[in-house]
Amino acid sequence: MDELVMVEAVSRRFPLDHSEVRALDGASLRAQRGEFLAISGPSGSGKSTLLNLIGCVDKPTSGRIVFDGADTSSLNPSQLSALRRKKIGFVFQTFNLIPVYTARENVELPLLLQGMSASERRSRAMAALESVGLAERAQQRPDLLSGGERQRVAVARAIVHRPALVLADEPTANLDTHNATQLIDLMRELNLTLGLTFIFSTHDQRLLEHTPRIVRLCDGQVVEDLHHAEVAHA
Amino acid sequence: MLKFLLLALRNLFRNRRRTLMTLLMVGGGVAGLLLAGGYFAFMTRGLREDTIRNGLGHLQIFTTEHFQRDEIRVLDTGIENWPEVAARVRTAPHVRGVAPRIEFYGMVSNGQKSSIFMGSAVDPRAERSLGFETFLTSGKDLDGDQGSDVEALVGAGLAKSMNVKVGDGLTLFAVTSDGALNGVDVRVSGIVESGVAEMDARYLRISLPSAQRLLQSDRITNLVVGLDDTANTDAVYGELGPRLSGLPQQMTVKKWIDLATYYKQVRNLFNGIFLFMGIIVFFMVLMSSVNTLLMAMFERTREIGTMLAMGTPRAWIIFLLMAEAALLGVFGAAAGLVIGNLLGALLNASGLHLPPPPGYTVGILFRVLHVPALMISSSILVVISLALASIIPAVRASRLKIVEALAHV
Repeated sequence: MDELVMVEAVSRRFPLDHSEVRALDGASLRAQRGEFLAISGPSGSGKSTLLNLIGCVDKPTSGRIVFDGADTSSLNPSQLSALRRKKIGFVFQTFNLIPVYTARENVELPLLLQGMSASERRSRAMAALESVGLAERAQQRPDLLSGGERQRVAVARAIVHRPALVLADEPTANLDTHNATQLIDLMRELNLTLGLTFIFSTHDQRLLEHTPRIVRLCDGQVVEDLHHAEVAHA
Repeated sequence: MLKFLLLALRNLFRNRRRTLMTLLMVGGGVAGLLLAGGYFAFMTRGLREDTIRNGLGHLQIFTTEHFQRDEIRVLDTGIENWPEVAARVRTAPHVRGVAPRIEFYGMVSNGQKSSIFMGSAVDPRAERSLGFETFLTSGKDLDGDQGSDVEALVGAGLAKSMNVKVGDGLTLFAVTSDGALNGVDVRVSGIVESGVAEMDARYLRISLPSAQRLLQSDRITNLVVGLDDTANTDAVYGELGPRLSGLPQQMTVKKWIDLATYYKQVRNLFNGIFLFMGIIVFFMVLMSSVNTLLMAMFERTREIGTMLAMGTPRAWIIFLLMAEAALLGVFGAAAGLVIGNLLGALLNASGLHLPPPPGYTVGILFRVLHVPALMISSSILVVISLALASIIPAVRASRLKIVEALAHV
């Protein structure tokens, strides 16, 4: 495996009135291609901030992030947008599907942004929906899907363009146990079968039990980096 | 981009009530412009054709001298050999007929009191052949003085002032071309009412030979040319120049628009009012749409953040929101066209009359013309208004900070 993400002494501070909040404070992390990595920690520990920085939707106050060999601090907004478009898939806690698009059209969106032809978009979107077990729901709009189905559509949307990295911010937070377990299994299966790299934030113990590597954050700092054996032991 | 247009189209129907309200506002603006513009167009066209039919004609021919100096004696700047001039004009295409006229003035008396009149001497047959209105309210039109009496048509106000009715006699006095005073007895053959009170209080019409005898002159003031269609005015105007060259007197041709001062004033007034209405509709649509589109953008902040996170170029977000606004404008314009034309047709069918304006004695028929140019310009106006209104929300949406947009509740 080669290195996909390198987070090096990254800090992120937000101004608040006359003071500032340190969401991240010199955090460092390396992720290899094909990893299934969980970032855990209590609320306010900086999980989402770290994912936002790795996903290039935010910039660190200090430190640097190297993504797939490129130092993201040297990229302009348009280059960052292109990087996200091509190399990153996002799964959000609240699904964030476009309500007026059908499931298939939602999944097609990343391919549309890449200028792919309509026929290829359609076949690849259907394949992605097939892989999350929702091919028969392709023509349904999100409001007719259950929470679990919506999140699976969101996963299909995140993987349809075969990104180098899938980032999932609290993907099971809005799901019941059954759907959460199904989603975790699905993500792990996609990780293993397609070799996709997953980095997700969670404090859901159900999800952590299936995770070979867990990075724990506390007060914006990495306090633990546990691998499979250690996870099992812990 | 097609898929984004589809997205824009579907977004319109997310909040149907708000979209409906916007469509009604935009459609109402377009319908209002169509009704007002259509009515103004009807009034302007009606006034134009009335002006022409009321005796102005499409073209008028004078001697050039007529415009260069005041007359020292009656008709001394008039057209001398007018039958030849008229014959040359008749050879031009689109000419329906030529009517000679003498415009003069003098005193009219009923034996007990006198008043000033403004006279017009005409060839009744030529006038009728051109379809010029006489506005007879009683009696009959001039017949060319075939009997022994000199006939006259008298304005309603003048007839009332002189206390005469059809069949009664009057005496006209005027200065001849030699500078002497001449008089002629006339019999009132008809009473006319143009609708303009000031005009009817002074107006009197006799036949051309009678006026020539009264004024002791073979000349006429001008020739009035009637065409088959007002649209041919410019073409015939261009034709007449060469045809009237080489005459002993130099001629000047005037188009109806050059002589229709009142028409031009009314048209300019209507244009001004319509422009003002257009500006009001433009800003009404603009301001309310900015508010609506900002609300729509605010509601979809997280969705826009998601699209930006997925790598959607910011220009696409601008395109998306502007396309939504433009589509709203197109649908609103279409609704406005339907509503405006339907209302126009209903109003036309109702036969509604408006009260007479100041200075007029008869009411005005209310009609709305369906003017394609007006429909196109009104539609373009609202589409542009909405496209402009979407600039602020679209740019604001494209500049959203992704992290903040994703956290938006």
